Amino acid sequence: MSRFAARRLAAGIFLLFVVSFVSFVLLSIPTLDVARQLLGQSASQEAVDAKNAELGLDQPVLARYARWLGDALTGDLGTSWFTSEDVLTAIGHRLPVTLSLMLGVTLVTALLALLLGVWAGVRRGAVDRLVQVLGVVGYALPGFLVTLVIVLVFAVQLRWFPAIGYIPLTTSVPGWLSTVTLPILSLSVAAVAGVSQQVRGSVIDVLRQDYVRTLRARGLPPRRVLFRHVLRNASAPALTVLGMQFVGLLGGAVLVEQIFGLPGIGSMTVTYTTRGDTPIIMGLVMTTVVCVVVINLVVDLLVGWLNPKARAA
Amino acid sequence: MRIRRFPTAGSAGVVVAALVLAGCTGAGGGTTGQSDPILDIATMTFPQSLDPVTAVGGALPFFQATYDSLLKREADGAYRPMLATEWTWDAGRTKLSLTLRGDVEFDDGTQFDGTAVKANLERFKASSGANAKWLSGLEQVEVVDATHVVLHLGAPDPAYLYYLSDAAGLIANPAAFADAEKLKTAPDGTGPYELDASQTTVGTKWVYRRADGYWGERLPFDGVTMTVFDNETAIVNGLKTGQIDTAVVQDANQQAALEGAPGLTTTPIDFDFQGILLFDRAGVVTAELADVKVRQALNHAIDRKTMLEQIRRGKGVVTSQIFGTDSLGYDEALDSHYAHDPEKAKRLLAEAGHADGFELKMPRMTSIVTEAIASSLKSDLADVGITLTWVDVDQGDALRRVFQNREFSGFVMNLGQQASDWLVVKDLVLPGTFNLFGYTDETVRALVPKIQTSSTEEARDDLRALNRNLVENAWFVPFYRMTYALVTDSGVTAAPQSGMAVPSLYNYRPAV
Amino acid sequence: MSEALMSDDHPRAGAAAPRRANRARRFLRNPQAVISALVLVLIGGAVLLAPLLSTGDPDAAELSKAFAAAEPGHPLGFDSAGRDVWSRLLHGGRNTLGGALIALAVALSIGVPGGLVAGYYGKWFDALANWVGNFVMALPAMVVLLASRAILGPTMWVLMVVLGVLVAPSFFRLVRGIVANVRGELYVDAARVSGLRDRRIIARHVLVVVRAPIIIQTALVAGIAISLQAGLEFLGIGSGDLPTWGAMLNEAFQNVQRSPMFMAWPGLALGITSAALVLLASALRDVLEDGDAKPPKLRAARRARVVTPATPDDDRPRASLLSVRDLAVSYGAGASAVDVVHGVDLDVAEGEVVGLVGQSGSGKSQTAFSVLGILPEGGRVSRGSILLAGTEVVGLSEKGYRALRGDVVAYVPQEPMTNLDPAFTIGSQLVEPMRLRLRLSRKAAAERALELLRQVEIVDPRRVFHAYPHQISGGMAQRVLIAGAMSCDPRLLIADEPTTALDVTVQAEVLELLRRLQAERGLGVLLVTHNLGVVADLCDRVAVMNAGRIVETGSTEQVLAHPGHPYTRTLIDAVLDDAPARPAWVAPRTDDGTEVPA
Repeated sequence: MSRFAARRLAAGIFLLFVVSFVSFVLLSIPTLDVARQLLGQSASQEAVDAKNAELGLDQPVLARYARWLGDALTGDLGTSWFTSEDVLTAIGHRLPVTLSLMLGVTLVTALLALLLGVWAGVRRGAVDRLVQVLGVVGYALPGFLVTLVIVLVFAVQLRWFPAIGYIPLTTSVPGWLSTVTLPILSLSVAAVAGVSQQVRGSVIDVLRQDYVRTLRARGLPPRRVLFRHVLRNASAPALTVLGMQFVGLLGGAVLVEQIFGLPGIGSMTVTYTTRGDTPIIMGLVMTTVVCVVVINLVVDLLVGWLNPKARAA
Repeated sequence: MRIRRFPTAGSAGVVVAALVLAGCTGAGGGTTGQSDPILDIATMTFPQSLDPVTAVGGALPFFQATYDSLLKREADGAYRPMLATEWTWDAGRTKLSLTLRGDVEFDDGTQFDGTAVKANLERFKASSGANAKWLSGLEQVEVVDATHVVLHLGAPDPAYLYYLSDAAGLIANPAAFADAEKLKTAPDGTGPYELDASQTTVGTKWVYRRADGYWGERLPFDGVTMTVFDNETAIVNGLKTGQIDTAVVQDANQQAALEGAPGLTTTPIDFDFQGILLFDRAGVVTAELADVKVRQALNHAIDRKTMLEQIRRGKGVVTSQIFGTDSLGYDEALDSHYAHDPEKAKRLLAEAGHADGFELKMPRMTSIVTEAIASSLKSDLADVGITLTWVDVDQGDALRRVFQNREFSGFVMNLGQQASDWLVVKDLVLPGTFNLFGYTDETVRALVPKIQTSSTEEARDDLRALNRNLVENAWFVPFYRMTYALVTDSGVTAAPQSGMAVPSLYNYRPAV
Repeated sequence: MSEALMSDDHPRAGAAAPRRANRARRFLRNPQAVISALVLVLIGGAVLLAPLLSTGDPDAAELSKAFAAAEPGHPLGFDSAGRDVWSRLLHGGRNTLGGALIALAVALSIGVPGGLVAGYYGKWFDALANWVGNFVMALPAMVVLLASRAILGPTMWVLMVVLGVLVAPSFFRLVRGIVANVRGELYVDAARVSGLRDRRIIARHVLVVVRAPIIIQTALVAGIAISLQAGLEFLGIGSGDLPTWGAMLNEAFQNVQRSPMFMAWPGLALGITSAALVLLASALRDVLEDGDAKPPKLRAARRARVVTPATPDDDRPRASLLSVRDLAVSYGAGASAVDVVHGVDLDVAEGEVVGLVGQSGSGKSQTAFSVLGILPEGGRVSRGSILLAGTEVVGLSEKGYRALRGDVVAYVPQEPMTNLDPAFTIGSQLVEPMRLRLRLSRKAAAERALELLRQVEIVDPRRVFHAYPHQISGGMAQRVLIAGAMSCDPRLLIADEPTTALDVTVQAEVLELLRRLQAERGLGVLLVTHNLGVVADLCDRVAVMNAGRIVETGSTEQVLAHPGHPYTRTLIDAVLDDAPARPAWVAPRTDDGTEVPA
């Protein structure tokens, strides 16, 4: 198991290198005239050239990448071109916001989706149809509509939660909870809808497995068969989906972050990518890849623990 | 530690709201023993850095917190002493003598004096900041003594006091210039507040607290928090729930969403105008535009009223001129100079020999040219026979293609209407940024030198004549001035700042 | 469900053509599939016919009409620029759906062949392709999209191609996983042995298996592509001024304060389309993957010749261990209920081995499941009586039944590998029922499990105890299952084709084992099989079943030597034709490929 993890980590580090290189090259495509954006429309060509030199943009891409990589290896990801903030600090400030959302949504999704999925898969009939309808509705509803309605009802009208802003967990736990509840709720609607369908499918699949029948024939109570055997086998595919959802939230919570005014990774990605702030984007890319590698590893380890056969593969 | 309980938040005051946003404990520096409220400003504009050479327009309040400027510009545009107590021009208007305060020190004990002014102005001029060109005419800063300097200009520049009350006048500690990187995030000025680095998240939230022993007028807030949002929906929701004290809301729909919200006060700000900057009056890219009748036809073809009603929901005033209401050159009559008249436009085109129309290509930045603007301009121009083709461009791309490559004849922009007439002339009329093909005409050639060498008041008639000339010769196709909403909650009042899209930091007061 | 219902059938080896026809029919019978497909066809049709269905140009703007209500010729009113919403909706649908199709086409054409090759050949290509897949998934989509937009121009079509590349790994992974799984499976091996070329194997065997999951995934990804496209518009990296549903939704969102209803149309279009795609996907899943075995079953029953059964002696007293009278099993409810077992009588005395013989689909497994109370979902005993060690189990509660399972009646299934839970070790699967049923301590149960493994002649019981099912061979797994069945000392063993899935040599060993255990413990055995050789070898008595009925019962000798029913004779003839020379108990298995004609 530890060899497996080490191998995966090594592959992850290699991936990090390649992605960083490709992203850097892609970012160097010079349509986003950063210097001119920084200086405004009235800047002279000389000023633009000077700015480009200041940012190192007059160097060839490979030289710039080499320098970036050299700095990155020493833990220096540079400073933002547009806000002068240190990249690591900037990401360090925002990652907890997004991680809060990701963890919250994953937790809510895992619990609710498991509950609904198992319920539908075991009971079938009307319950199943209800869960399926809920799933389709949750899936088909446009995300921002859900988010807007949630803000308007729970924050603006009822004033149960704040409409905007983020309070770090370290500052105040109830404060943190009050600021992340609505965003998590907004993001969970679609996530629960999707994952519960997955769980339902898996549960139905597993319930049809021969060994479930055999276990029953051995005299095991159905509840025990369900909770010990069916759930364990059904949760492996669900975990994979959950892992993918988790990764997706890293950059995919843009809309929710914007509407709730949360300073997270998602809105940061969009803002800084459209501007072409290379140091920040590279920092975000690195963060994303590290998260993807770690999450995939965790999911694989969990799936391996649940499903010994996958461990061997 | 005080945490806001949400069901009780209805009438949340400034302090409570501040606690939530700042997530911090006690208010302000707390050293004075007094407890003044904390001001929470939400904005969509943020500074590139806190180094004063990078200061621009809407981000000025970020700098005003920690820096004083040589001159203070009041809400109505009048100049008042700040770090400089007196200023006088010589007869030729090329030497500006400043008398400086002698009792101001930077945090490290460095004295504010003539040398500091010289160092700051020269650094500003040499920097790559967006406004560095303001000081391009500055030939020498003569330090007479610690409290007197003389600015020597190559040519008269009527906007100089404006510069010194704006970005170019912000004075940082010369001792800090050695480490320019540090200055970007750690401002070192003599201003009323200090940046609270521990609470600040650059790019998201800047937290300022009262500076100990500030030499000047005590501002009525113990601290200021400026939070940056990337959309107005969040700002509007924050205003409604009392989490934000004040913000300027630009979007007409968002303004409408705030109407009738309890406890909020709205003050109009008319600063930006929207229109086509028609660079190509000489017909370099689009030959047809060289004919003034064609440019007039464009102006008559646009249905400004409907655009204002439908796109801005009436929040603004249609206009045909680029001078703003705060400027001397402004002439109310010119607002309605070009009526919507497709027939006349067609006639003018026919007279110009383009009865069959022509094609006009313009870049489209979707952040400014929304679908509604794009399609309405297209169909308005199509009605008189002009084919408008939009070329989609990204922001960075647009600047390069428009201003560097000069690929286009015109560009739809939202542009601030400067209170300083000379800035308007310099930016929009003289060859340069917004007159990139360097077009001029007889009247302009005759009037500009007169305006440049006379005091602002003396130049009023010339400015009006210049304005009329620009309008009649259809240098531009302005649509309307846009009314923004300066929104404040029940705890705060604020006055719009002449010549700025956002109020100066000095313009906020606690409501009594 | 099909697996369970036709447990004595080899589902994959059957003829493809009738299955396909069944699928089409099943599709048409599934209201969810039909309705969602119909909705999609309607939307597609409306979008294709946009110029006919809408008046005028979707870009024609009349600003004075911005947000105006519906009027003749403009059924949905006007948008913020005064353009006809209906016309934009239809034309926008062309671009949205067209874009999604492009993304899908790209994703399919990269992901499916890649997955096939990687899964089938493995080796370096698999490793490389896997890594590339991971790489693509780790790439920051925003950066890639913006960069490709910068290089290739800001058109939606380009973005959708890039999007296609970005989602291709999902197809790749799906296909690769399935193909790698089936590669080792019997029928592909067989195809290989018989000298088919790889290309034909992939085309004829592998593609058949991955087809259904691909179709389902396609419907899902189409929905995702459509909503991603809308999302890109929202982030401002969309289509420029090309009308799309995403652009319309985004524009509506900008104006939500002013005219909230305006969001409804593109929202509905997007929502209905993606909902229809999801529903279609799940219906397709039912149709293609799970199947629904009722209709074929029904036909099989109708096709079967109705023969008067050789009536067993009705006055015969009921056997003490197992006695079945007039058992009927049906699936479904009400008018659509289908009987698969019609009035079966069956007795097994203590220590007696009874063979229940019949071909696939004759109802013998259903009869066995009824006795155990583990009929698959939808099935029930609709008539009759089953006495199990004197207890009437028809209508018995699940709890009451549980008291009988394990120590009165136990079950040895047909397919050894699928009957062990892959997530638990062999040991824990043996220990668990003993601890529950016999209330043994963990230690005692483990000791007993090891003893049982020894008894079923497993050489290294300790290793097997700690092994997972995938780590042992099929023969070993069957021994484990037999050990599991024996673990609580049952009096009746129901063995459902216990040797069918095994190699010929292993079959012999397992039969030997069964015979030995039966003799040592005096077990009553109900042996469900289609293999007359096995019957001849093991059974005291035989019941021959056809089309849900017992057609003949009697002592093994009597039935095999003097079959009284034509069906029995055909069964015996088939065996003799195939392998006349072999000793009876290792007669070659007649699997479905050589099924006896009815």
